[in-house]
Amino acid sequence: MGKKVKKYTPLRLLTLTLAFLLILITPYLNLHLHINFIQGWFQSLSIGHLWFVSPLEGLESILTSRDVYGPLLVGMLIPVLLAITLGRVFCSWVCPISFLSEVTDRIILLFSRKRFRSSGLGITRKTLWFALIGEIIFALILGAPIFVFLSPPGLVGREIMMLTLFGSLALEGLIVIIVLLMHIFSKRLFCRNFCPLGGLLSLLGIKRRLMVVPDLEACLECGMCKKSCPLSLDPQRGESLSPYCWNCGSCIESCKASALKFKWKDI
Amino acid sequence: MPTKDDARHIKRRTFIKALGATSVVAGSIFQPIRSSAGFLASPVTTNTLRPPGAVSEKYFASKCIRCGRCVEVCPYKCIRPLDIHSGIFAGTPLIHVVDIPCYLCMKCVDVCPTGTLRPISQEETRMGLAVIDKHACMTWNQELALCRTCYNVCPFKEKAIKLDALRPVIIEEYCTGCGLCVHGCPVTQKDGKKAINVEPIYAFKEKGAR
Repeated sequence: MGKKVKKYTPLRLLTLTLAFLLILITPYLNLHLHINFIQGWFQSLSIGHLWFVSPLEGLESILTSRDVYGPLLVGMLIPVLLAITLGRVFCSWVCPISFLSEVTDRIILLFSRKRFRSSGLGITRKTLWFALIGEIIFALILGAPIFVFLSPPGLVGREIMMLTLFGSLALEGLIVIIVLLMHIFSKRLFCRNFCPLGGLLSLLGIKRRLMVVPDLEACLECGMCKKSCPLSLDPQRGESLSPYCWNCGSCIESCKASALKFKWKDI
Repeated sequence: MPTKDDARHIKRRTFIKALGATSVVAGSIFQPIRSSAGFLASPVTTNTLRPPGAVSEKYFASKCIRCGRCVEVCPYKCIRPLDIHSGIFAGTPLIHVVDIPCYLCMKCVDVCPTGTLRPISQEETRMGLAVIDKHACMTWNQELALCRTCYNVCPFKEKAIKLDALRPVIIEEYCTGCGLCVHGCPVTQKDGKKAINVEPIYAFKEKGAR
C-alpha cells in the first residue's frame, strides 16, 4: 500500500482527443489549404509516405476481390503488429467512437451523480466473434466490403469529411448516433458486443504481450475494477487476461490496493 | 435532497430530450446524395463516371474499401462518394462531369490504398469516351457555326479533339473522358445530356487489370 497508482486516463483522453482532432482538421487542411501531408482517417490514413490501412477493411477487400494488392498489405502491417503486441489498444486509445463515448459520459455526469453506470444488458461477449464472422461472410455473399462502409470508427471520419467538403452529412451517419444511444443505454454496448473491427483486433491480440495482470494476494475484492471497466470485465477474476480486454488502464487506477498492473509478458 | 429515484427520473427526462434534439438535428442536416442505380446495378452511366485509373466495374465494388481518400484529396470536389441508397456500390466514388469535370490532376490515383484506382498518368486515363451528338451540337446542325467550346477546353487539343471544317471531331485513341468538354458545352438537352457526352465504354470491360 501507499504506492502511487499510475494514472493512465489523462494520457488516454489526450490521445483520444488528439486522434479526434486529427480527423477533424485534415479534411479542412486538404480542401482549403491543399496540404495533403496528412490524409484520410481510420479506414485508411497517410502521414507523409507512411500509410495505414484498417486491418478489417484490408482483409475484406482482399477476400471479396480475391486479389492481393501489395501496398494494401504494407498498409495493414503496422496496425496488425500493434494489435498482436498490444491487443485492442486502437479501440480505447484512438477510436473516435471511444472519444465520442467518453464525451457522452462526461455530459451524462453533468446530469447524474452516479459515477459508475451499470452495464445494463448482460449479453455474452461472445457476440463479438459472431459480429466479425457474420460481417465477413455477409460481405463475401454480397461480394463487396459493404459493412466496413458502415463501420462506425471509419464512419465518423467520413462524415466529418462530408461535412467539411460538401456541407451535408450522409445518411449512414445516423449509425454513429445509434451507437452513441446504445452507449447511453448500456455502457459501450456496441464496442463490447457488436463491433467487427474490435472483434478482429481482439482476435489478433489473443496472444498479446501487454496485459493488465491482477495480484491476487494484494486484492481486497472491493469490485471497483469491474465497476470502472468500460467493457464490464472483471479484472480481479482474471478477465483482463482474456482477448476482450482493450488495455485502457481504467481498472489500474480504480484499484485502491494497487493490485492491478500493466505487465509485459515474456516470450 | 433528491433521492435516488428522483435522479433516475431526471436522467430519463434528459435522455428523452436529448433523443428529440438529436432527431431534429439529424433530420435537418442529413441529406441524401443523388444516386441513380438500384441495389446491385452499377451507378456508372453517361456523364457519371469513375475517377481515373479505376478497375473494371466488375471488381470495383469488391475492391474499394470506401475510405473516401480520393474524395478528400480531390481539390476540385468533383469526386463524390455515393451514400447508402446505392446498395452494394454505397461509398464508392463517382464523378458527375456535367457538374464538375475531372481536371486530371491525378492526385486521387496516388492515394488509393486498395489499387481500385491504379496510379497512371494523365494520358493513360480512360474514364470514358466523349461522343458528339451531331443533332444537338450547334456547330454540327449549323444553328451557330462559331461554337467550339469543347475544342477550346480540351486538355489534349489537336490530339483528342480536332476541327474538321470548323466542326469538332473526337479522336478516340487519345480521348481521356475527363468531361471538360461536357462541362463546357452550352447545349443542354431535355434529358439533361449535353451536345457532347462522355460514355463509359471502358468501365465494364471483362478482362484487364483488376
